[in-house]
Amino acid sequence: MVATGEQRTYSSVSVSPLSFWATTAEEREESFRLLREHDPVSWQVPLEGSLMPPQQQGIWAVVRHEDIVYVSKNPEIFSSAQGVQQEEVPGDILAAAESFLGMDAPEHSRLRRLVSAAFTPKQVAKIEDQIKNQAEQIVDDLLATGDCDFVEQVSKRLPMWTIYEMMGLDPAKRETAAAAADGMVSWADEDVAAGREPGQVLNESLVTLLSTGMEFAEHRRKNPANDLMTNLVQAEIDGEKLTDEEIGAFFVLLSVAGNDTTRNTITLTMKALCDFPEQRDLLLEDFEGRIDTAIEEFVRWVTPVMTFRRTVTQDTELRGRQISAGEWVVMFYSSGNRDESVFADPHRFDVTRRPNPHVAFGGGGPHFCLGNMLAKTQLRAIFDQLLHRAPKLEVGEPSYLVGNFVRGVKSMPCRLG
Amino acid sequence: MSFKDEDEVARYIGGIFQEAFKDEELGPTLADTGLVVSFRYTEPDAVLTVDMGNHQVYQGERDDVDPSATMYMKAETANAYWQGAVNLPFAIARGKVTVEGNVASLLKLAPLGSKLFSVYTGMLERDGRQDLLVDK
Ligand code: HEM
Repeated sequence: MVATGEQRTYSSVSVSPLSFWATTAEEREESFRLLREHDPVSWQVPLEGSLMPPQQQGIWAVVRHEDIVYVSKNPEIFSSAQGVQQEEVPGDILAAAESFLGMDAPEHSRLRRLVSAAFTPKQVAKIEDQIKNQAEQIVDDLLATGDCDFVEQVSKRLPMWTIYEMMGLDPAKRETAAAAADGMVSWADEDVAAGREPGQVLNESLVTLLSTGMEFAEHRRKNPANDLMTNLVQAEIDGEKLTDEEIGAFFVLLSVAGNDTTRNTITLTMKALCDFPEQRDLLLEDFEGRIDTAIEEFVRWVTPVMTFRRTVTQDTELRGRQISAGEWVVMFYSSGNRDESVFADPHRFDVTRRPNPHVAFGGGGPHFCLGNMLAKTQLRAIFDQLLHRAPKLEVGEPSYLVGNFVRGVKSMPCRLG
Repeated sequence: MSFKDEDEVARYIGGIFQEAFKDEELGPTLADTGLVVSFRYTEPDAVLTVDMGNHQVYQGERDDVDPSATMYMKAETANAYWQGAVNLPFAIARGKVTVEGNVASLLKLAPLGSKLFSVYTGMLERDGRQDLLVDK
């Protein structure tokens, strides 16, 4: 047994209250910088949530790049099976919403393998061309519309279109599914809740996505087509197939993981390119040659997924802090991506930054973002179109979502110039 | 397999709440929620209304209590639920359970519910009701 007598005083730099998450990323970074320097594995009041009273006395906040990688790569100690969000969420909801994101080996490996088998190279190659066409269409529409809300008109459209097109989902069901995916990550935001209780927003969103996913799986069993859902219902490894429930939960995961992440990266990258016009010019000087490097900087800069949690399976030690079995460890990717010991001049947006070992897609290990290639393909296609065809595009102030999970932008005005 | 009639539903499903109210940890927690939940079952038809705040379970139609939420399901779904074999969001998505009113309040109860699964199966075993035990 590790001594449980260690003084558990809460860190003087708190990252828990929702008011902290209502400040800007730049303001929050000031706290993370202090923590990285003075208290890299800090004991914090449980992150303020709104679903259920916290059952934990506190959480361990891991803010350094190196430690995020360590936690990510040691899943036997830092388990995902009891949920990966910072908030206490009823177990039933976890089981239905997190799919293999909230599992450990061997269940995680089995499901991830089955799903990866459905992402065949043929499927991905097919979608690449379609993404380019779709990006072109979106910018056609933007040019025709003129000044507008960039999120609604541009950022929202490509990620939603991409995953549901890959899936093969009936276009008539896509808006509803995407709105439900939003509800899954934004129940803490008053605008989104519109008077409903957070738990109600979450439950309604979840049930909508589950039933859409399960009905669609049933439909594809009977009417196979050339899409990801057909591959999923047919995928088989060692005689094992996915159940409709497993597919339903995966549909939820894909809808959530594939929508907001890429959307917010597009939005806030556009803002960065406007804020730092010399970087925009630099990229445009040799778009083909620089875009792949630049994309890594886009995701580091934005870090749309700010936090993920693990639960410790055995007493362990991290930077001299004694962590007991059952306690929660939260990785702050936003902080890891500004770690001055890894990134030279971390507060500089530099489209030529190399190397760029950011943790925006996770710190490595078994849960590393399954959709990272797809996300990069989308980013390449949309910025190719935007920067070349709307060269004078400028954006105004974003209106941010309040929450401790996804760094979200609700709206951002744009002018075509 | 399911229950024979409303009395049996009240005996077992109602019974689980009676047990919970007696528990020194769960009793006060449930009372604090102040929730009134009405359960309307079919096959067999049965109505239970649980007043958490007052630690009361009422059997049959009542018009003097005002539920904050109403749940509709087959009695066998409830039987399986209390054995930990039903996931609520999946069941709602499948249309096996319908909720009217404040779902959020029910979600808050969910973690308490899971503490009662073993109590429920214990009750069934004690009464020799192997017919009601479900495979998980
Ligand atoms: C810029 C866009 C994106 C970012 C920043 C991002 C970020 C992340 C992060 C941080 C994780 C967890 C990593 C970990 O726990 O180690 C993750 C997992 C995941 N992402 Fe992404 N993601 C993005 C886009 C996408 C897209 C477009 C898809 C859809 C195909 C997707 C699907 C997934 C899935 C399925 C997982 C779970 C993987 C597992 O648990 O094995 N992501 N993502």
